Amino acid sequence: MKKLFVMVAALSLIVAGSALAGGNMNTGCGLGTVIFKDVQNQSTLVQIVAATTNGTLGNQTFGITSGTSECTQPKNYVQSDRLNEFVQANMDELARDISAGKGETISTIAELMGVPSTQRDAFNANLQAHFQQIFPAPGVEFAHVVDTIVSVSNQG
Amino acid sequence: MRRHGARPFFLFPLLLLFLLSSPAWPGTNGYLEEMKETAARRRLQDDRYWDILLFYKPAAGGRKSLVDDPKFFLAPGGKRDPGAELSATLDAMFDGSLSPPARCRFPARYEWLKETLPIDPARLPRPDCPLLDNNLRAINPKSVSLIFASGHMNAPASMFGHTFLRLDSAYESPLLSYAVNYAATINPKDSGIAYAFKGIFGYYPGYYSILPYYAKVREYANMDQRDLWEYRTNLTEAEVRRMTLHILEMEGIYADYYFLDENCSYDLLFLFEAARPSVTLTDRHKGFFVTPIDTLRSVLAEGLIDNVVFRPSTARTIRHKAAEAGEAEVVLAKSLASGDASPSDVIDGPLPAADKARVLDLASDFTRYLYLKREIPKDPYQGRYLRILAARSTVAGPPPESRPLPVPAPPESGHLVSRASLAGGARDGRPFLEVAYRPAYHSLEDPAEGFNEGSQIVFSEAAARWYPKDEKVRLQRLDLIDIVSLAPRDAFFRPVSWKVRTGFATRDFPGGVESLVYALNPGGGFAWKVSPLGIVSLLAETDLAVSGRYDRSFALAMGGSAGIARQVSDRWGVLAQARYVHGVLGDRERGRRFTASLKLPFRLSRNRSLVLEGEHADGPSVHVGTIRLTWNAYF
Repeated sequence: MKKLFVMVAALSLIVAGSALAGGNMNTGCGLGTVIFKDVQNQSTLVQIVAATTNGTLGNQTFGITSGTSECTQPKNYVQSDRLNEFVQANMDELARDISAGKGETISTIAELMGVPSTQRDAFNANLQAHFQQIFPAPGVEFAHVVDTIVSVSNQG
Repeated sequence: MRRHGARPFFLFPLLLLFLLSSPAWPGTNGYLEEMKETAARRRLQDDRYWDILLFYKPAAGGRKSLVDDPKFFLAPGGKRDPGAELSATLDAMFDGSLSPPARCRFPARYEWLKETLPIDPARLPRPDCPLLDNNLRAINPKSVSLIFASGHMNAPASMFGHTFLRLDSAYESPLLSYAVNYAATINPKDSGIAYAFKGIFGYYPGYYSILPYYAKVREYANMDQRDLWEYRTNLTEAEVRRMTLHILEMEGIYADYYFLDENCSYDLLFLFEAARPSVTLTDRHKGFFVTPIDTLRSVLAEGLIDNVVFRPSTARTIRHKAAEAGEAEVVLAKSLASGDASPSDVIDGPLPAADKARVLDLASDFTRYLYLKREIPKDPYQGRYLRILAARSTVAGPPPESRPLPVPAPPESGHLVSRASLAGGARDGRPFLEVAYRPAYHSLEDPAEGFNEGSQIVFSEAAARWYPKDEKVRLQRLDLIDIVSLAPRDAFFRPVSWKVRTGFATRDFPGGVESLVYALNPGGGFAWKVSPLGIVSLLAETDLAVSGRYDRSFALAMGGSAGIARQVSDRWGVLAQARYVHGVLGDRERGRRFTASLKLPFRLSRNRSLVLEGEHADGPSVHVGTIRLTWNAYF
């Protein structure tokens, strides 16, 4: 019986699905630097199997600290590595949340910067007002974003 | 000093080698012997916790670890010999020459032995573990959540879902937590078919990985469009620390990954047992499959879960925002994302501020979605995304008010996935009784709660029918696979709906003859949500039937089907379908077939349902009507 089920499951893998396995860690310095995993260049069948068995291509990692060394570093290196890593890896989401003056990533950087909860609304509104300074051009890199967020919130 | 005692440990030549080649910490040999003696006397090698840490399970002739990586075992026969492994582990703990020291490489084993024996840490060589301490400091584990990723809407094969863990720190933001994932590592050089078989039969190694949670959110919720359910456990800080130590000792260690049972889900259960050994999770599963939902149910049944948070996928969020906006605003947001409209036109336009914000939020979400789906290249994406956001930042004030996104029923609220059915009915006035069984998973007529709407995946359902009049029992059908994916199209998303069904089916032949044929029936098309009909689908279909009853032994037919699927209330559903296929090859005459069916599923309780159905089949010299009432039990 078990053999039969296994065969059936095998067959289903061959015919089913169209989902893609997702992307990996974000390594890059600017907007849109998501790494598309190799799986998206593979045949549909490979993608299906990867999505179905929850498999991943390439090496599995213990990515506990990723580092930002390949990027220009912020000038005000007073903030934590955690903040730098987070901003580098979440540039696009952070840009969206700052533009709207709310969201999970903006709360996260507020927490990492030690902004008290009573001052969060002001912090958010201040960053929103300075959006175009923080993200001045499509080629903006994370170091500029961190530096500007820090200096803008120190003024604000 | 009792080192010359004639104990079986010394029979292992390798162990001797250990002792000779690596001068132990001065004065520890006697202490080590004492520890080993205590461990042997208390039979710690048979302790449940040792089984948990080493993944030992009963096997022919004793116990065997599920881990296949030789690096995981310190004794040469450690995979099958818990006692030798324990002894070798103690040896290694006292071996000052290992790099990294064994207590740093296997911190969970060390902690347990230290507390259970107990071991005086001052008498161990090289007491510090800088790398381990750094990792623990970075993760700073305080609590644990079990994360369930729901199936991809348009890929019923992913309907089983996926589970992983999240180690939550003292930070409030879950994005700063770490995700612990167990997955097969696929070799990209393999050919297609090899993938499928290797994945199922355990030829790929499964590894644990640790990644920031935001990376997993991006992978599942943003790129794959899968919702995440975050179940916060009530494990204490001390328990979470034990679990974390155990995870850290699994770095770079593989176990053969079997899609059906030794999979992502099953292995996580060991981590819960390592955290809280009083729970029994890994022995609960006796069936053929261990699906992620089984894992979730076990963990819930052991009372480990305190609360649940729903994190909708980007697609769900976009759909919700679109439903909140007006039609004109949706059109505007789409043309912003495609680059056909300029954000400054929105800002300078006549819309009230809240609507401007709504349009621009929707546009930025959709632009990012298109980029992640690689429908826009990076260069135009960066500029377009930033222009939309810059415009959005000029609309100050609170974000637009809207209804909260409706949270679907959680996955554990769904029916259990094995199904047994009893049915009674009549075919052309001849009464019959029918029994059916399927091991997994969900079909459109089953209670919908907790499953993706419009998705069906059935594995190997068999049905036997008995006609009392002629005292005949016959195999009515044996579906190997029956998958349907009805994915509604809307303003933003244009998925393709599809189906595939294969197996043995009963077909009608002239003269009232029923005969089993082998059939393969794929189809593809579109579906829309049309109020008040529900999901309306139009599929082009191909139907291949093989049987000695056909001329040239087969009939290939092509045609199409139109269907309606609607959940009327919590209890009632309606499924209606009309289908026509025209013979094109083989027995073209008898390949022609028209069927119309109506099914009315009625949910009695979570795991019981009734289905009333009528079907009419029409072909050359065939006009057959069937009615049937089916009682389904899910277990």
